Amino acid sequence: MDERPLNILIADDNQSDRMILSAIVKKMGHQVCQAADGLEAIEQYSKEKPDIILLDVMMPNMNGQQAAVEIKKLAGEDMVPIIFLTSLQDAQDLAACLESGGDDFLSKPYNKIILQAKINACSRMLKMHNTMQQQRDVIQENNEHMRHEQEVARAVYDNVAHSGCLDLPNIKYLLSPFSVFNGDVLLAARRPSGSVHILLGDFTGHGLPAAIGAMPLAEIFYGMTAKGFLMTDILREINAKLKKVLPVGYFCCTCMVNLSFRRENLEVWMGGLPDFALYREADNKVEHIKSRHLPLGVLSSSAFNPETQSFSFKPGDKFYMWSDGIIEARNEEGELFGEDRLFSVFDGKDSEQFFDKIINSVNTFAGESGKDDDTTLLELSMVDETVVGTVDIDLTSGAVTGPTDWHLSYTLRDETLRTFNPLPLMLNILNDVPTLRSISGQLYTLMAELFSNAFEHGVLGLDSKLKSSADGFAQYYQQREAAMANMQGDFVRFEFDLKPKANGIGGQLIITVDDSGKGFDYKNVHNSTEGNLGYSGRGIPLISSLCDSLKYYGCGNKVEVVLSWETQIEE
Amino acid sequence: MSSIDLAQIQELKDIMEEAFDDLISTYLTDSEAKLNLLKQAIADQNCSDIAELAHSVKGASANIFAEDLSALCRVVEDAGRAQQLDGLDQNISDIFAEFENVKTQLQQLN
Repeated sequence: MDERPLNILIADDNQSDRMILSAIVKKMGHQVCQAADGLEAIEQYSKEKPDIILLDVMMPNMNGQQAAVEIKKLAGEDMVPIIFLTSLQDAQDLAACLESGGDDFLSKPYNKIILQAKINACSRMLKMHNTMQQQRDVIQENNEHMRHEQEVARAVYDNVAHSGCLDLPNIKYLLSPFSVFNGDVLLAARRPSGSVHILLGDFTGHGLPAAIGAMPLAEIFYGMTAKGFLMTDILREINAKLKKVLPVGYFCCTCMVNLSFRRENLEVWMGGLPDFALYREADNKVEHIKSRHLPLGVLSSSAFNPETQSFSFKPGDKFYMWSDGIIEARNEEGELFGEDRLFSVFDGKDSEQFFDKIINSVNTFAGESGKDDDTTLLELSMVDETVVGTVDIDLTSGAVTGPTDWHLSYTLRDETLRTFNPLPLMLNILNDVPTLRSISGQLYTLMAELFSNAFEHGVLGLDSKLKSSADGFAQYYQQREAAMANMQGDFVRFEFDLKPKANGIGGQLIITVDDSGKGFDYKNVHNSTEGNLGYSGRGIPLISSLCDSLKYYGCGNKVEVVLSWETQIEE
Repeated sequence: MSSIDLAQIQELKDIMEEAFDDLISTYLTDSEAKLNLLKQAIADQNCSDIAELAHSVKGASANIFAEDLSALCRVVEDAGRAQQLDGLDQNISDIFAEFENVKTQLQQLN
């Protein structure tokens, strides 16, 4: 009845009993090994590893019960069914046999039919146990395999998601994942212009399914930020990507901010997140900043609105971002921590303590009840730009050697000027030149100034003086809208000319920008603005400081900038 | 009256096939030796030996369907365990007499 013959140990001090049992067992097609007392039974068990043991209770040199205890100990996790051979009738004695590890009884005189039935029953039990053990091992193996894979994936994830600049001195943060993977994403990166992009994302759910969406998000965030794209472009791109890759019902509640040190401004886009806190040192007050959008990955690109809120952000001001794991932390009674408790932390006077106080009050509140979601908290402080230093440029990406001798002419006409920001594209091309990549921050500033001069002041004819007052700023933008609508046959043309130096070390880049505007009295400006480093000037001193030479031509609507360098390209 | 259940022993013979003769002679040799030891143990009034030896012959005899002999051994085993040795001389001679019957009948089976 059983396909595999079993090995059965018969332990009985009576040789005639052993002979009878062994004849019955062999008739069933099983193999037999024998022992004449308890000690021998243990010895035979270790040597023969029998599948089932028929064990006499009363034997010299250690009785059956003691032998059973020893054998079960040796067997460990393996199952060895023991059938006690007994003529004991007393219920107490029979119970003692089961206590010592016996699985069944067979009483004398032996009955062939009953013995066979019991061996078959044990065999079924054994099979079930082995199957279970195998399945357990498979599960364990799979589990280990999965954990290993998760750890590898985690390492990749960390490299992608956490390669940013969260270690800046004006950022404090806490990332406390609920499982191996974090459904909360916290990214920070410097733009080439020096400002900081920060993104806090809270994906639906937690663990691996939530973390997986963070990969494309982080790639887009870091890639586009480094290339100088604006926050709105980045958000649009991330939204489109998440909409495409995330399953229905999955999305990412997101807050992205752009902190501009020079303009002392904080630009915020929030979708699907609870209120955040903006602390202003001047009046020691906290403002609720509310989400105005749906989470990323919900709306189609055409319906998506990247409009941001803009706040003045002075040194000493602080912005707090958190995932809902903070507000939804529960105490032992199941009560939520809630927004009121969170905002009451800011009642204190010492703004340096806010961050720690938030963490402490959540921990004190939740106590031992444990958490059930990822928890993320970030504090962003406004500081002077010198505190955070200049932008580190990642020299490791892209080709080591690049093009050294080329010319490019790029003309932007009306429709393009109205809708398209050409800076990332042009910077991308310039960044292929290794030496230029190392100064891409300055280059960005230079290009931005040149473009702004040519377009806003040249083509649109706007007066930069307007920008120096708050009222003027609004007026400036009104005029800008109107002038853009009126453009006809206008253009801004960039020409780049890159040549290696004659000695083979270093190179020279000539950037020429001309526009369809009226130009300006450059001779006058050039002399009078040496001391004026205001941000809203025509930016000429700023440009001059980066270049070998800067020359205006004609009526002032054509400018030529020469940059040259002596560094050797490292192989 | 037979000392052995003949129907059952026939079944055992079918199971054992050619090993049956060997079984019978093993049983007889073993049991005879143990009964002699049992007799000595009774003379020595060694209660635990009495119980163990009687138990062993009781089991072996049950397995070859010598039910009366098995029952006689059980009485002695119980007495040994209870340390009530009075009258065991009679019991042991009954056991030897019954053993002779069993032996005769088993040998006739061949």
